Amino acid sequence: MSLEDASLDIVPGELLAVVGENGAGKSSLMNVLYGLYHPDAGTFLMEGKPVRFKSPRDAIARGIGMVHQHFMLVPTLTVAENVVLGREPTKRGLLDLDRACDEVAATAKRFGFQLDPRARVDTLTVGSQQKVEIVKALHRGAQVLILDEPTAVLTPQESDELSQVMRGLVAQGRTVVLISHKLKEVLGVADRVAVMRRGRTVAEVRASETTVSALASLMVGEGSKGAAMTGVPAAASGTQEAATGPVLLEAKDLRATGENGRPALQGVSLTVRAGEIVGIAGVDGNGQRELAEVLTGLRKLDGGEGTLLGGPLAGLTPALAKARGVGHVPEDRLARAVVKAMTVEENVALGRHRQPPFARGPWVDFKGRRERTNQLLNSYDVRPPDPTVALQALSGGNQQKVVVARELDADPKLLVVVQPTRGLDIGAVAQVHARLREARGRGAGVVMVSLDLEEVLALSDRVYVLYEGRVTGHFTREHLDERELGRRMLGAEASHG
Amino acid sequence: MGERTRQVLPSVLSVLLALGVCWLTIAFTRDADTATRAYLQMLWGGVGNWPAFLDGGSSTTVLRPLGESAMKAALLTLTGLSVAVAFKVGLFNIGAQGQMIWGALAAALVGAHVSLPGVLHVPLALLAAALAGAAWASIAGVLKLKRGVHEVISTIMLNWVAVSLVDNWLVIGPLRAVAEGASSITGTAEILPSAQLPRLLGESSRLNLGFPLALAAALGVWVWLSRTRSGYETRAVGLTPEAARAAGIPTLWRAGGAMALAGALAGLAGAVLVLGTEGRYPGSLGAPYGFDGIAIALIGNNHPLGAALSAAVFGILRAGGTRMQLLGVHKSFPELIQGFALLFVAGRMVWLALLARRQKRAQAQGPAQAGAEVPRA
Amino acid sequence: MLEVFHSLLFSTLDAAPALVFAALGAMLSERAGVVSVGVEGMMRTGAFCAAVAALVMPTPLAVLVGMAAGAGIAGVHGFLSIRWRSDQVVSGMALNLVAMAGGTFLLESLYGPNGTPAITQLSRWNLPGLSHVPLLGALSGHAAPTYLALTLPFLFHLLLSRTPLGLRLRAVGDKPHAVATLGLSVPALRWGAVLGGGLMAGLGGAVLSTAVLDRFEQHTPAGLGFMALAAMVFGRWTPLGAFAAALFFAFGNALRIGLASSAPWLLDLVPQGFLLALPYLLTLLVLALQGQRGHAPAALGTPYEQESR
Repeated sequence: MSLEDASLDIVPGELLAVVGENGAGKSSLMNVLYGLYHPDAGTFLMEGKPVRFKSPRDAIARGIGMVHQHFMLVPTLTVAENVVLGREPTKRGLLDLDRACDEVAATAKRFGFQLDPRARVDTLTVGSQQKVEIVKALHRGAQVLILDEPTAVLTPQESDELSQVMRGLVAQGRTVVLISHKLKEVLGVADRVAVMRRGRTVAEVRASETTVSALASLMVGEGSKGAAMTGVPAAASGTQEAATGPVLLEAKDLRATGENGRPALQGVSLTVRAGEIVGIAGVDGNGQRELAEVLTGLRKLDGGEGTLLGGPLAGLTPALAKARGVGHVPEDRLARAVVKAMTVEENVALGRHRQPPFARGPWVDFKGRRERTNQLLNSYDVRPPDPTVALQALSGGNQQKVVVARELDADPKLLVVVQPTRGLDIGAVAQVHARLREARGRGAGVVMVSLDLEEVLALSDRVYVLYEGRVTGHFTREHLDERELGRRMLGAEASHG
Repeated sequence: MGERTRQVLPSVLSVLLALGVCWLTIAFTRDADTATRAYLQMLWGGVGNWPAFLDGGSSTTVLRPLGESAMKAALLTLTGLSVAVAFKVGLFNIGAQGQMIWGALAAALVGAHVSLPGVLHVPLALLAAALAGAAWASIAGVLKLKRGVHEVISTIMLNWVAVSLVDNWLVIGPLRAVAEGASSITGTAEILPSAQLPRLLGESSRLNLGFPLALAAALGVWVWLSRTRSGYETRAVGLTPEAARAAGIPTLWRAGGAMALAGALAGLAGAVLVLGTEGRYPGSLGAPYGFDGIAIALIGNNHPLGAALSAAVFGILRAGGTRMQLLGVHKSFPELIQGFALLFVAGRMVWLALLARRQKRAQAQGPAQAGAEVPRA
Repeated sequence: MLEVFHSLLFSTLDAAPALVFAALGAMLSERAGVVSVGVEGMMRTGAFCAAVAALVMPTPLAVLVGMAAGAGIAGVHGFLSIRWRSDQVVSGMALNLVAMAGGTFLLESLYGPNGTPAITQLSRWNLPGLSHVPLLGALSGHAAPTYLALTLPFLFHLLLSRTPLGLRLRAVGDKPHAVATLGLSVPALRWGAVLGGGLMAGLGGAVLSTAVLDRFEQHTPAGLGFMALAAMVFGRWTPLGAFAAALFFAFGNALRIGLASSAPWLLDLVPQGFLLALPYLLTLLVLALQGQRGHAPAALGTPYEQESR
C-alpha cells in the first residue's frame, strides 16, 4: 500500500470522513498522520506550523488519537491497564491501579460509556473493546480522533450508537476523522468527505452537497463502475431465474462450539439446492464462519444432523467433504486457502494433489500439474501467468483468482464461499462474482457467507440470517427487504409471517 | 541473482566469514603465522596432504584423513537431516541429541546381544536405532500435536532426560559391560563383528558404510520431499498448517510422521557412531551432535542436499581439527567456526540487506531493474 | 534427621542462586516476547569472564564483569532478533554453540585444559543471630549471591506486577503492536528486557565460578542454563514461580548428592540417573497437563515489525 501526493485538511470541530476503495491509501495516510509510518516527502502543518511526528508519541502529545481497525488492546490486561498503558499513574514509584481504575471510569462516564475498568479485555464483546479503544484515545486528551473502519465489526445498532458517540464528540468541540468505505453511513454522519484513490486525495466535498453515487464515481474514477462499488446489483441475478435442482444439503438443528469455547451454532437448519446461491447474512461473529467450517468438515458438529451430498454431515472431515464434491473458498485466504510460500502450481494442486493430473501413483506429476495450471491461469486471467512463481508474489486479487480457479476447476457440487471478495479491487470483485454465478449456472449449489450486506443482496437467490448461532430470518429473492434483513441480523423476531 | 544463488549465497558467505573471524581469534591470541599454519593443518587433516601425496607419499596420507572426514560428515549429515526434516513441518528439533542417544544404545544392544549373519545384523541394528530415535522424538511430537507443548522446550527437556537415564543410569548400571578380568570397561558390551559397519577402503582408512548410508539418506529425503505426494503434503503442513488441513491433508499424521522421521535419522546417527567407530555405547556420546545438527541444517538452508553439503564441509574441518593440536590449538576449534557460521546464517538478514543496498546502488547507476528482495526467515 | 535436613537445606541454598538468576533472566526476556534459549551460552560467557577477571581484580568486581559479559551475548541476540528480526531460537542456539566452543578454545589457549587458575571465592557471611537456630541456621554462612537470590525474585515480582515498566513489559510480550500505537518503543522495551536477562544470566554464570567453584571449568555451566529454562517454564513464566521451581530443582539435586554419600543403598532402588531426570520429567509433565500454549506470553518468539509494507 502506498501513498503518493496525498493531502488533507482537517478542520477543528468537524467530522471528516475519508473514503476510498480498499487499497486506496486511507489507512496509510492515517498511519502517517499518527506517526506510525514516515512519509518519504511532504509536510504536515498543525495550526499553521510544520510538525514532524517521529512516533505515535508525538502524535499523542499533539492531541491526536487513533482507533485502529484491528484493535490494539492487550487481551490479558484489564480495561484500566490498557487505557493507562504508557502514562500510568503511580504512587511512590509503583503502579496505582486504584487510581487508574477511577480515572478510566471517570473518562468513560464523561463520554457516556459503560465500562468496567477491572474487567479483562479478552472477556469483553467486540463493541465494548472498541469503546475501550476510544476511551484510550480520549484519556490521552485526544482532540482529533481517527477511527479506521470502525463499523466493520459492529452490529447496525452498535454502528448507530457509534455515530451518536462521534457526533457527541464533535459537539464537544473535538474533531473526528472517520475512515470508511461505507458511503451511506458516511453521508449520514460526516460534515465533510475526502475521497482517496490510488494513494491520492482526489476530492473534498461537503457531505450535504453530495450523493452516494457522486462519491462512488469519485472513488473509482469513472461513473460506470460506481454502481459495482456500492454494491447496487448492476447485473442482478434476478434477471435470470434460478432453476433449482435437487437438494444438496439438508441440515437440521446444527450445533457447534466456536473458537472461544462458547456455543457458536445453536440449532441451525438450512437447505441448499443445486443451482442456487444461498447467502448467509449476519453481523460478524454470529456463527456464519462456524457454519461454513461445519459444512467443509473443518469444525466438529456437537449436535444436530444433516445430509450433505448423499452422506451424513456428522463426522465430516475436510478430505471427506472434498471427496463428496464440496468446494471451499475460505475467508482467511493466506491462512486457510493457500500456502503462500509455495509456487502457484503447487497451490493449484493443493487439495487435489492426490489425483490426476496432479499425481501419478505416489509421485507428483510435474507435467500434468504444469499443463492444468497454465490452462487455469489463462482462463482466469491471473497475472503474471507464471506457474512457477511463489504465490505470495501475486497481488491479493490474483491470489483469490487462483483459489477460485482451483475450487471451481474441481467442478464442485456444493461451493462454500466466505467473504469471497474482501479486500479485492473492483475488477477482481466483478470477476469473482461472475464466476460464482457461472458455478450456479452449471448447477452447483453455492453457500455464500458475507459480512457485506450489499454483496449478499446482489448475489443471493435465498438468504438465511444468522444471529447468535440461530437462523432468525429466511428470505427468498422476491421478498428480500434490506431493512427487515437488518432487523433480523440484530435478532429481532419476525414481525410478520 | 538467480533463485539458486540467492539460497546458497548467504550460507557460503557465512562460512567464509566464520573462517575469517576464527582465523582472527587465533591471530589475536597467538599470531598470524600460527593462525595460517593451523588452518593449513586443518585442511591437510581434513582432505589429506595432497602435496605430500603427489610428491610420492603413500596413499594413506590422503585416504586416512578423507576417511576421518567422511565419518564425521556422516554423523553431521544424519543429525543435520534430522533437524532439517523437522523444520519442514515447522518444528524445531533441538532434541536430536536425545534421539541419537537412544539410537546409539539400541544399536549397541542389538549389535552385542543378537547373533545374526552380517547381512542381517547390520540392517537390524540400524532399524532398531531408527525406531528408538523415532520413538523418543515422537514423545515431543505427540506433546506438540496433542497438547500444544512447544517442541523447543520439550526436546530440550527430553535431551536431558535421555542423558540422565542412559548415561547416568543404564550404561553405568544394568547395561554396563561385564568386566573381563581386571580391566573394567566403560559403556556397554562390545558389539559382535557381524554388526560392525564394513570398512570400504580396507585398513588404510576408517571410512565405513556410514558415509554412503548418510548420503543415501540425504538423497532419499530430498526425493521424498520434492517428488512425492506425501512429501508435498509434509511441506504444505509445515508452511501453512491450516491451509493443509482445509485441503484434506492429515496434518497431525504428516507432522508426527516428520518428527518421527527426524528422530529416526538422529537414531541412525547414533547407530553409525556405535556400529562404525565406537564399537559399543561409550560412557556418553561425548559431543553435542544434536546441536551440531542444528548448525548443519541451518547452514544447509534446511535443504536435504544443502545439509549434506554443509556436513561435508564441516566434516572436513572437524576431522582436520585434530591436526590443529600440533600447533596448540584445541581440537574443538572447528566447532567455533561452525558456531560462528550458524550465527552469521542467523544474521543473514544483515547480509542480504547490505547486499541489496549495494545492488540497488549499482542498479541506480545502471539500467533500471527490479531491486533485489530481502527474503524473510 | 534434623541434621540431615539442615545440611540439605544448606547445600540447596548454596547451589540455587545460579539457577535462580538464570531463570529470572530468561523469564524477563521471554515476558517481553524474546525467546531465551541462549541463556546457557550467556551463563558460560559470564562464568568465563568472571573467572578471568577475578585473576586481576577483587572477586565482587569480577562478578560485575561476568554480568556485563552475559549482557554482551544478550546484546548480540538482541541485535539479531530485535534489530534484524531473525529467528530467536536459531540466534540463541548459535550463541550457545559459539559460547561453548569459544569458551573451550580460549580456556585452552590461555590456561590449558584444567581450567583457569584458582581465584578468591566470594566470602561467606555468617549471620550470628541465626547460626544456632535449628533449620533457619541453614540460612547462615552463604556468599552474597544466595541472599540476593532470596530477594531478587520478590523484586522482580514487584517490578512486573506493580510498576509501569512491568506493565509495559507484559504488554509488549503479549501484544507489541498495542504498545507501539501508544507511542512506546517496542524495540526499546525488548532491548531492555533482553539485556537485563543477559545481566542476570551472566550473574548466574559468574556465581558458578566465583561462589560455587573457585575457577572456570571446561564444562561450566553443564546444562544449568537449560535447567533454568525448565524452571522458568515450570514456574509459568512468573518470577515467584520460576524462583520456587529453581529452589525445588536445586533441592532435588542436593538430595541426590546427599543420598549418594549418606544412603547409597537407596540409590539402588531409585537410580541416580532417574533422580537427575526428574526436574525435566516434571517440567514435561506440567507442560503436558497445562496443554495448549500454557502460560507463555502470546507474542513470544514473534519478531515485531512496525510497518507491514
